[in-house]
Amino acid sequence: MNWTEILEFSRGPFFNVALFIFVAGMMYRLVRILLLGWSRDRVPGKGSKLWGSIRSFLKGILILPFIPWVKNTFTKNPITYLAGGIFHLGLFAVIFLGTPHMLVWKSLLGFGWPTLPVPIIDFLAAAAIVAMFALLINRHIHPVMKRITALGDYLNWLLVFLPMVSGYMMTHHLFFRYEVLYSLHMISVNILLIWIPLSRISHFMFYFFSRAIHGAQFGKRAVTP
Amino acid sequence: MKSKQAMDTFVQETGGWVAAQLEACTRCGLCAEACHFYEATGNPDYAPVWKMELLRRAYEQRFTFSGKWKQALGIEKGVTEEDLTEWSRLVYEACTVCNKCAMVCPMGIQIGPLIHEVRSAMAAAGVVPDDLMKATQNQLQVGSPLGVSDDMFEERLEWITDEWEVDIPIDKKGADTLVVFTSIELMKFPTNFAAIATIMNKAGENWTISSKGREVVNFGFFEGSHEHTVLFLKRVFDAAKELEVKRIVISECGHAYDAFRWTAANLMDVPVDIEITHILAVIAGFIRQGKIKLRNEAHKNGTISFHDACKIQRRGGLINEPREILKILAGDSFKELTPNREQAMCCGGGGGVISIKEADPLRFAAFGLKVEQMKKAGTQSVCMTCSNCRLQFSEGVAHYQLDVKVRGLSEMVADALV
Repeated sequence: MNWTEILEFSRGPFFNVALFIFVAGMMYRLVRILLLGWSRDRVPGKGSKLWGSIRSFLKGILILPFIPWVKNTFTKNPITYLAGGIFHLGLFAVIFLGTPHMLVWKSLLGFGWPTLPVPIIDFLAAAAIVAMFALLINRHIHPVMKRITALGDYLNWLLVFLPMVSGYMMTHHLFFRYEVLYSLHMISVNILLIWIPLSRISHFMFYFFSRAIHGAQFGKRAVTP
Repeated sequence: MKSKQAMDTFVQETGGWVAAQLEACTRCGLCAEACHFYEATGNPDYAPVWKMELLRRAYEQRFTFSGKWKQALGIEKGVTEEDLTEWSRLVYEACTVCNKCAMVCPMGIQIGPLIHEVRSAMAAAGVVPDDLMKATQNQLQVGSPLGVSDDMFEERLEWITDEWEVDIPIDKKGADTLVVFTSIELMKFPTNFAAIATIMNKAGENWTISSKGREVVNFGFFEGSHEHTVLFLKRVFDAAKELEVKRIVISECGHAYDAFRWTAANLMDVPVDIEITHILAVIAGFIRQGKIKLRNEAHKNGTISFHDACKIQRRGGLINEPREILKILAGDSFKELTPNREQAMCCGGGGGVISIKEADPLRFAAFGLKVEQMKKAGTQSVCMTCSNCRLQFSEGVAHYQLDVKVRGLSEMVADALV
């Protein structure tokens, strides 16, 4: 098997299988949580749960998590905040607004959208990779992070890091032949796709639950979430 | 055996609401920075995420593949009796369930209520600190965690009635409002007791207290025991039904307000058509409706700050009311502590922590953060709407030898009545 064949396999059948496992796995996780039972809240509210949830999402998605000085408690842990924010920003920009990735989405969904210029995407990707190192080091030295980190957390880091770094090397033609890097990128992406439903990386789905719950809890008490 | 009881409770408590939030946790550790116990000591065990570790482990090992594998492969152990003993200290002595952590969690997880679930498992397994257990037993048998018997209650009431020359109607059937006090107010802050009575009379309210439902504090709720929580709530609800009142007013107690206003209906059948509210909301209502009038800037003791209680402000929603009142009472000498309102830091004594002798060094350490805030604001007097906070402040101010006056807001209102 030569690299061209490996590439064909990893971006063809392997990718399709990984994608299927990812979607099916996440669906399973979702259904499992939904079926665990949700007791009705019988407490009469003071404010609106819906409005609370809307504000909770606006705050969660748009601004506050990325502005450490908004809450003075955040200034005590700027690394997690800034590096965490930059990582997610870079990750989502690359996945959704990078031209090559948009084309993948287009082939899956049937429609595309405008993307960001290469230099901007490139910068965000590099920033995200640097941020990942900051987070890794922080995880290793911060007393709280040391306390709560298990083997799985390092594995999560590694499996997210590999596609990112291989993708970056690929766009810059670093060290290896293009087919080799492309193959490595696809293989690592596939492994990540399979790993996500089994790990905490699935938090992107439960984010919508927890923020809605947060908003409802504060909204019903008429408190800013 | 104990660990099985704890495990069963964990599983029983875990519905979608709990599970979805546990799944959302990314283990970023940011919640630690919100916790006054962690801030004061730097001990990573006090990170809120670590305090709910047992709940997470129980959930994953019972409900998820990855948890089952981890346990089977020996990467993660089950919940053992040693764990219960260790976490009993963490969740009862180093957590006030103030839910400030939820405010900084990027995922918005309600960590406070989840730690309450851990407490429930501890209570089911009987791994509750001795002091807390004793107070609960007191409330079960005598009717008050401080051991106030029926006779003592009557005597004390007579004394307050005489001393402050205020009418306190007892067991008045057909009254509109039932006010339920804490024994902390009765025994330690009688001025507040008298103040609330004076305000109710002045506003012309048709009110009463009950000799049966006379304790608003709920040690079952501190403990996390459903059975006890419901039992103590029921005493007051039964009294309210018997006296045919239209509303129950919780006096200056935070945890009680949370239990009655925001929890009871989900634990038990609560009497319909009886409104549950807090004395702060009632007083603010009186002022808005013009039922009572206050002297402007009646407060003369220099810069005054308001301490936001976790259960009355952040988790109770009564945030603007005290500020409206203080604007009248103190005008420009009212200075906010930072952070404030729903972002405020807990005093360190709530959630039953103050009743556990062993936790004293920890709660005084946590109070150090409040001391810093007061120094920064130049606070000379501080007031609040929770007797539990007030007790912590009184003891904390003495511990740090500060020259700060600690007051209940109702007291200040009563002093300024025209």
